[in-house]
Amino acid sequence: MIIEALEVVFLFVTALMIAYLIRHYIFTLTVLRKAKKAKVDVVVNAKYEPTVSILIPARNEEKVIGRLLQRIAELTYPHDKLQVIVIDDASSDSTGRIADEYSSKYAFIEVLHRENSNGGRGKASAMNAGFKCATGEIVLCFDADYYPQKVIVEKLTKEFADPHVGAVQGRVVVLNEPQNMVTRLVALERIGGYRVDQEARDDLGLIAQFGGTVGGFRRSVLASLRGWDESILAEDTDLTFRVYLAGYKVRYVVDAECYEEAVDNWKAYRQQRYRWARGHMQCCFKHSLKVLKSKNLRAKEKVDGLLLLNVYFMPLVVLLSFIIGIPLIFFESSKLVGALWFSVPISFYSFVGNFAPFFEVGIGAYLDGRTRTQWLIPLLIFTFFYNIPICAKAFLDLLVSKIKRKDRSIWVKTSHLGNGNCYIVN
Amino acid sequence: MIPNLTSMIIILIVATPILILILFLPALLELKKPKDRGPRMIMESIPEVKTRTVHVIHIANIEKEQKFDSSLIQTMTKIIEVLPNLEV
Repeated sequence: MIIEALEVVFLFVTALMIAYLIRHYIFTLTVLRKAKKAKVDVVVNAKYEPTVSILIPARNEEKVIGRLLQRIAELTYPHDKLQVIVIDDASSDSTGRIADEYSSKYAFIEVLHRENSNGGRGKASAMNAGFKCATGEIVLCFDADYYPQKVIVEKLTKEFADPHVGAVQGRVVVLNEPQNMVTRLVALERIGGYRVDQEARDDLGLIAQFGGTVGGFRRSVLASLRGWDESILAEDTDLTFRVYLAGYKVRYVVDAECYEEAVDNWKAYRQQRYRWARGHMQCCFKHSLKVLKSKNLRAKEKVDGLLLLNVYFMPLVVLLSFIIGIPLIFFESSKLVGALWFSVPISFYSFVGNFAPFFEVGIGAYLDGRTRTQWLIPLLIFTFFYNIPICAKAFLDLLVSKIKRKDRSIWVKTSHLGNGNCYIVN
Repeated sequence: MIPNLTSMIIILIVATPILILILFLPALLELKKPKDRGPRMIMESIPEVKTRTVHVIHIANIEKEQKFDSSLIQTMTKIIEVLPNLEV
């Protein structure tokens, strides 16, 4: 009886993993098929040139904020239609002073200083403060460690000519990739996520995700949604689903590219992924039922939305499959499993995890012309297993906080050291 | 219980290191002597902006710049074409 029960659970978790496996393979094939088509020139309608506000939240970013603001000054978008708001979020270093220097040089750059009394409460809080000062029709966001293309504003804003578009997202490229093994593996993950996963979701009309930076919103939509939810750690995912539930779409613009400085040690990696995992799980609890019941989402968007919301539970599903699957190897199989002989290869997939994301990374690297970096893909198995305890802790912490009704999520900021400067080619 | 458990364990002990070596050898070689080109170059230049009602920005062909092997991709996509249309 117990064995049969374990087998049913095992087959259920295997079915879940197969759902993600199929999803990832569909994405990979979609992008491959698109790569075959001739590259289409970007058409920009000069009649559509809205006013744009760029929000840059910055807390103790003295090593990178100057680099970004210098780049902002070089943007090709008409400066008389640009408003840049640097939110100095209770910084204790020279971030505020550096931002003030650029503000004094360039009229379209403003600085909002927050003190300890009202600042330092996380990115969402800083963004809401900045949003109150924003006047542009489009509101874009860049993190302080980012380094965008000069034409990125044109590329992002052109999508808003479609009135159904509520938000956009550009592509993130890791700048300090060669620094060490951590940065190289993070870069691989980014390649899979942005070159294949996001692009396929956009092409298939699924849930393209706003990633919190290198993207933005139609100001009226953001205002109707009342800005960022400060109680959610993954405020970007939360906004993504709120945009879709409100009847708008998020567009992914693969050629709107921006460099980022990736985490360069395993502790920072763990903290960042913990924040993403816990925040994503918060969004899952908040939006799953709404997604199912929404009349603004098509069936395929609902399916993809649910898979996206639950993606950070997958490492826990893999862990469960290990815990159940290994003992089942040693027990005599029941008639149930005997009839389902195909569970053997499925069990193998479950044991080693879901390989489909690795195919995404491989194809993404190939499409980028980075065949040599594909040699590092087997190392992603370690990050995959490293994410299991991270997601498990995030889930347990979230459960405890829900039970205690004290969901006070603490934002642990990623430190940026400006390590990518040596790789910038002008 | 699975028969010949002892032999199975012996096979695992012998085969596992070999499999691990095969799996990770390329990665170790790349880490030891990196030959990857490094961060992807993001596009900067706008060669031409025409002042007409519809402006066209010609983006340089990244794939050609990086000697992208389009023939191999075409072969793979020809194989994919026989699959059902995956777009809903």
